Amino acid sequence: MGNLRTGHIVEAALWLGLCLFLYIYSFQFEKEIEIYKFGASAWPRAILLLIAVAAVGQLLYNWKKGDGGATSMIAQAHDDSSKGSDHNSLKWYLWTFFLLALPFIYMNLPEAIAGMMSLEKPGLHSAKLIVAGIVVLVYILTMRGNYVGGILALPILFGAFLQDFGFYAMAPIFILGVMYLFGERRYKRMVVIGLGLYALLMIFFVSLLYVGLPTGNIGWFYDFGTTMVNILQ
Amino acid sequence: METFNNFLGGAVTLFSDPLGIVIFFGGVIGGMLFGAIPGVSMLTLAAILLPFTAHLSPEHGIMLFSVIYCTGVYGGAITAILFNIPGSPENAPTAFDGYPMTKNGQAGKAVGAAVMCSAIGGTVSAVIMMIATAPIANWAISAFGPPEIFALVFFGLAVASSVGAKTFWKGWLSILIGLLIAVIGLDPVGGIPRWDFNMPYLLAGIHFIPTILGFFAVTEIFVQAENRAKGSYQAPKLSVDFPSFAELIAHKFAVLRSIVIGFFCGILPGIGATLASFMGYNEAVRWSKDKSEFGKGKLEGVISSETANNAATGAAMIPLLALGLPGGALTAMMVGVFQMHDMEPGPLVFLNSADLVWVVFAAMFFANISILFVGYLETKTIINLLRIPFQFLAPMILCLATVGAYAVRGLTIDVIVMFVAGAIGFFLRRSGYSVAGIVLGLILGRIGEQTFAQAMQMLHFEWSGFAGRPIAAALLVAGFLTLLGSIYGAFFKKQV
Repeated sequence: MGNLRTGHIVEAALWLGLCLFLYIYSFQFEKEIEIYKFGASAWPRAILLLIAVAAVGQLLYNWKKGDGGATSMIAQAHDDSSKGSDHNSLKWYLWTFFLLALPFIYMNLPEAIAGMMSLEKPGLHSAKLIVAGIVVLVYILTMRGNYVGGILALPILFGAFLQDFGFYAMAPIFILGVMYLFGERRYKRMVVIGLGLYALLMIFFVSLLYVGLPTGNIGWFYDFGTTMVNILQ
Repeated sequence: METFNNFLGGAVTLFSDPLGIVIFFGGVIGGMLFGAIPGVSMLTLAAILLPFTAHLSPEHGIMLFSVIYCTGVYGGAITAILFNIPGSPENAPTAFDGYPMTKNGQAGKAVGAAVMCSAIGGTVSAVIMMIATAPIANWAISAFGPPEIFALVFFGLAVASSVGAKTFWKGWLSILIGLLIAVIGLDPVGGIPRWDFNMPYLLAGIHFIPTILGFFAVTEIFVQAENRAKGSYQAPKLSVDFPSFAELIAHKFAVLRSIVIGFFCGILPGIGATLASFMGYNEAVRWSKDKSEFGKGKLEGVISSETANNAATGAAMIPLLALGLPGGALTAMMVGVFQMHDMEPGPLVFLNSADLVWVVFAAMFFANISILFVGYLETKTIINLLRIPFQFLAPMILCLATVGAYAVRGLTIDVIVMFVAGAIGFFLRRSGYSVAGIVLGLILGRIGEQTFAQAMQMLHFEWSGFAGRPIAAALLVAGFLTLLGSIYGAFFKKQV
């Protein structure tokens, strides 16, 4: 086994697995192009081959030198390795990936429910509200004690909510959430600075630059978004 | 003499028009601010402003974008140095030594070097651009066909693979991830969808602006979040200590070398300031007697990359104005400005709109000069941003990034892509991969594949055809030698 650790083998297996998965999918676009004999799949497959070679090269490097140091001084300056971090256990990874899955559950589950129950638009909106509530509750319960996982998932959750609930309603909650996850606990200061940041963003982008931000499309979130646009512009 | 008269004419036209002056200074300050504020970039500003240029004259529209280009490339250096968040990929190498300098309490000196070298590189480039536009463009166009551009992309990626990642193999994997992302969408020859998984969003390809915002701005926030949780977060020390004249003189060869590299890279379509700064930095490392100092906060690292990327700005205008070939995202947006006014950039612009060309040239010259003055004043404002506690700065950066990602195409999925890229970047960075390498691969991937396809068609699918083209052959050989050297170093040397 040389200097290999399980992590090295998992890392190489992930790369090789990705290559295999994408290689199988590449048959979907293995089509001839009249003026180009290599077709549409040669370039992507060459990249997959090189990834596989580099992954094996990295594995051999680990086998010979273990984790080793960064190979160059420049690389050492960029070494953000997780060594010495509390956020490196299997349990941490599992909970973090669970948190990261929550936004995608929200993005897919309401449509699936609406499809199964043949719901119209108002029904779909209700399903989205209920699923969003559950997702937020699960997020709050899960991220306690795992603030790094929480900060990784919160922006994606915010992005997933933008289409339905709009930037105008979601931004203040998002700003306060990020402050909390970064360790701020002085609630009065959080509210004052959070609202100040929100006002600055609104004035600069919406009032001065007329940037169109998502207003949302569900019930009073949409009404709130359009009212804000009318006031600011 | 004719060039000088044309330049004077352009300058007089520029500064005798009150609206032109307002737009010029608006572009100078806006470019710097958007380049400097973490989470947004000059591309964000340009994307936001693009629809409004329909209300401006073509001269004002193109001049505004060219000024934003010059000062934005510099502005990105400020955040690269102070926050380790390059405003755009062309500032990524600036962070390699700039950020360690900040951590060593030399933020002011690093920013000062960036101000001076950006101004020097940009101004010299603008002057050469004015003098040599026609002959250089003619040479590059006649000497550089698709085989040469593909060979240069390959050489650039081979050189860049050794930068930023923990090992050589992870450097290559980083670049290959970027190339892989660039493949998603329609293939450049036959328009066949690849890895779209029947999702309309993926059919158009993953847009590089949300990806860049994610990998740089968002990832940095996540990394800082973990550092705080580990208790290893350190607020940078503040100081304003511009480098002395003697220090700059001591680095004169680095400045000259970077000007040449930057200009050469900038003139080639699709290569531009990003590769210029990487190559400028890499050459500085290669020529240095004491390579071990790089990455720890060496002034020459900042000087080399900042001179090179600004030296590319003037050069990048040559293929755009002479041939209508945009070299990057911002010059591509300039094509959009031309098209909004029913114009096509290219040789006819020189014939039909000589005034426009010379107003733009004069504006770029003065924009680079103004970096020296406005840059000095504004940098102090930006440094004050460091006094803001990170728990208040982080939500602001994330919200600005959200607006920037959304403003490009008005799609919320771009915001999600940005944050997912940020999370992926976080995991990759803590595993020793290079996000700068990913972005370089992403940007050069498309042009690499396109020029490879064109080259193979030109060479009748004969690989030996490359040997018959000396420049392409030399670049390919140099790229392979760089690769072999890196592989040898990875396995058989203690440290490269």
